[in-house]
Amino acid sequence: MQNTLEKRLVGELAFVCLLLALAAGIAVEAWGIAGFSGISSPGAFPLGISAILLLAGGRILFDTLRRPDSGAGNWLAAARQFCAQHFPRRILVFTVLAVAYLASIQWASFYISTFVFLLLSILYLRSGRPLAALLTSALLVGLIYLLFTLAFSVYLP
Amino acid sequence: MSETISYLLMAWSDPNLLLLTALGTFAGIYIGAIPGLSVTMAVSILVSFTFSWEVNSALALIVGIYIGGVYGGSRSAILLNIPGAPSSVATAFDGYPLAKLGEAGRAIGLSTVMSVIGGLAGTLVLASAAPVIGDMALKFAPRDYFLIAALGLLLVGSLAEGSLAKGVFAAALGTVIGLVGMDPVTAQGRFTLGQVELMGGIHYVVVMIGLFGVAEAFYQLHSLDVPAVRQQVTKIIPSVAMVLKFLPLSLRTAVIGVLVGALPGVGGDIAALMAYDHAKRTVKKPSRPFGQGAYEGLVAPETANSAAVGGAYVPMLTLGIPGDAVTAVIIGALVIHGLNPGPMLMVESPHIFWFTVGNLALANIFLLVFGLMGIKLFAKLVELPKAMLIPLILVLCVVGTYSINSSMTEVYWMLGFGLFGYFLKVFGFQMGPVILGVILGPMMDNSWRQAMASVGDNPVELLGELLSNPVSLILTVGITLILLGKTPVSGWLKKKCKCTPVTH
Repeated sequence: MQNTLEKRLVGELAFVCLLLALAAGIAVEAWGIAGFSGISSPGAFPLGISAILLLAGGRILFDTLRRPDSGAGNWLAAARQFCAQHFPRRILVFTVLAVAYLASIQWASFYISTFVFLLLSILYLRSGRPLAALLTSALLVGLIYLLFTLAFSVYLP
Repeated sequence: MSETISYLLMAWSDPNLLLLTALGTFAGIYIGAIPGLSVTMAVSILVSFTFSWEVNSALALIVGIYIGGVYGGSRSAILLNIPGAPSSVATAFDGYPLAKLGEAGRAIGLSTVMSVIGGLAGTLVLASAAPVIGDMALKFAPRDYFLIAALGLLLVGSLAEGSLAKGVFAAALGTVIGLVGMDPVTAQGRFTLGQVELMGGIHYVVVMIGLFGVAEAFYQLHSLDVPAVRQQVTKIIPSVAMVLKFLPLSLRTAVIGVLVGALPGVGGDIAALMAYDHAKRTVKKPSRPFGQGAYEGLVAPETANSAAVGGAYVPMLTLGIPGDAVTAVIIGALVIHGLNPGPMLMVESPHIFWFTVGNLALANIFLLVFGLMGIKLFAKLVELPKAMLIPLILVLCVVGTYSINSSMTEVYWMLGFGLFGYFLKVFGFQMGPVILGVILGPMMDNSWRQAMASVGDNPVELLGELLSNPVSLILTVGITLILLGKTPVSGWLKKKCKCTPVTH
């Protein structure tokens, strides 16, 4: 019960509302499978699960609303605080690098894109030290080649 | 009798088989420990290049990988909070806090010894009680499978920190993810949003790597500036007193592991979670609070998931039904070698059964040796700067996901699940229930429909069967008690019992 007195995290209420909206969307999809045409129809179990999702989501929302507000102020201030706390620039940049890495695998080779991704990520996350980043990236790509291509013969992208 | 003993000791006496078992165990530990590499994946790959081998050699290597891989998953769970396998999810609950407290060496040493105890207990049960447990599992009806899966989800949901609602939500969400794709009975699309690509479903390993690998990598970016935890690895081998202290819990959870492992489709992951829950409920004075580095929270899942390996072999060798994903792959390997796993295997090829028993015991001995030897080397992994480790984890996740179906779409899904998992983690949702939901959801759906079809879609008749069949009744009572234990009713009952005056 102590947790109920803790302040809400900034963005928590919005996230819970999004989860509840997701649960509602899942319920609509479940209904669309076969309605409630029979207790052993393809949609019966998904409907039951979506009902549990909605009930649990409702309870989470209730528990979240009972807790004191995060005190972030208006929505703009809350958005800023949310970014600072949960989605700082470091995570944003790493996400962009990860997406770019996945996209580049298809047109550059796996090894080249992996090497560039490791190099840029290590450079950014370690704030410099280019020689160490270069050597580490090359070493890691070499290890990946030895382990996956030679030892395990894994299909690589 | 002498023939049985010779089959049993075959792997111990043949240098080639001895070497292959040792090699498999050693490799399995490190494969299991690398996030993104699963023991299922390793065994699948092994099957593809060992089918031209002699059957005993192939099985020796596979058994070694299986035993080593199940154990190896605990290493990354302890050191990185990334379970290397689903069976190590529960290990991370207390293993990682122990590493953060600087007791990683002792934690890994204890988990090694307990894994070996669990593994040997599982092997012993496989050897002595396989036909009996096989008979028990054979008697299970679809409604029982549904109840077992529901029990598993309920248990994992109740393990979620702080809020049962969050645990239940996560488990239900995982179940929905598991149901995505074509309905196996009517071929109708479910939760596919009209996308043809989703008709094949979402592989649970994609979800697992996303939620455990990528989400953790993103989460770790918050603590990038915190210096790497220097692990206390001087004390590796646990003292006899320490082992003896936890032995009763270890033996109890070994029983849970074997029984759960013997249930078809229910492997070491559920066994470990059930054992953890058992420890939480029965240990009144843990070494530390559970979730904050309690050794009991490490001993229970580690013993159970290793014991479940022996258990998983029981339905596979006696009934031809896989106990978990790995034994499903092993069935394929046996078929490739012209064997017929099932009741006739014991009659036609008893040497395979006894060879497997002896080989499992041998692999556990190697596990003890390699497990205690390589700790210092492996612990260095966490001393690597996170700025190097995090990008590497992402690359391993990409490789692991792509190797499942050679699909870049699944790699994007994995990244998406990783980002979603990151926010779930930030707001206090656990990842374990989601994964369990993904694995058990389709099984529950299938069992539900079979159970309903068997009673002509009559819920009253189903209720009658739940109450009249002993196995169903036990499972129903178990579920009811767990549910009641999480509602205000239990608090009211406890209060009522305390307030009732003692009459003389």
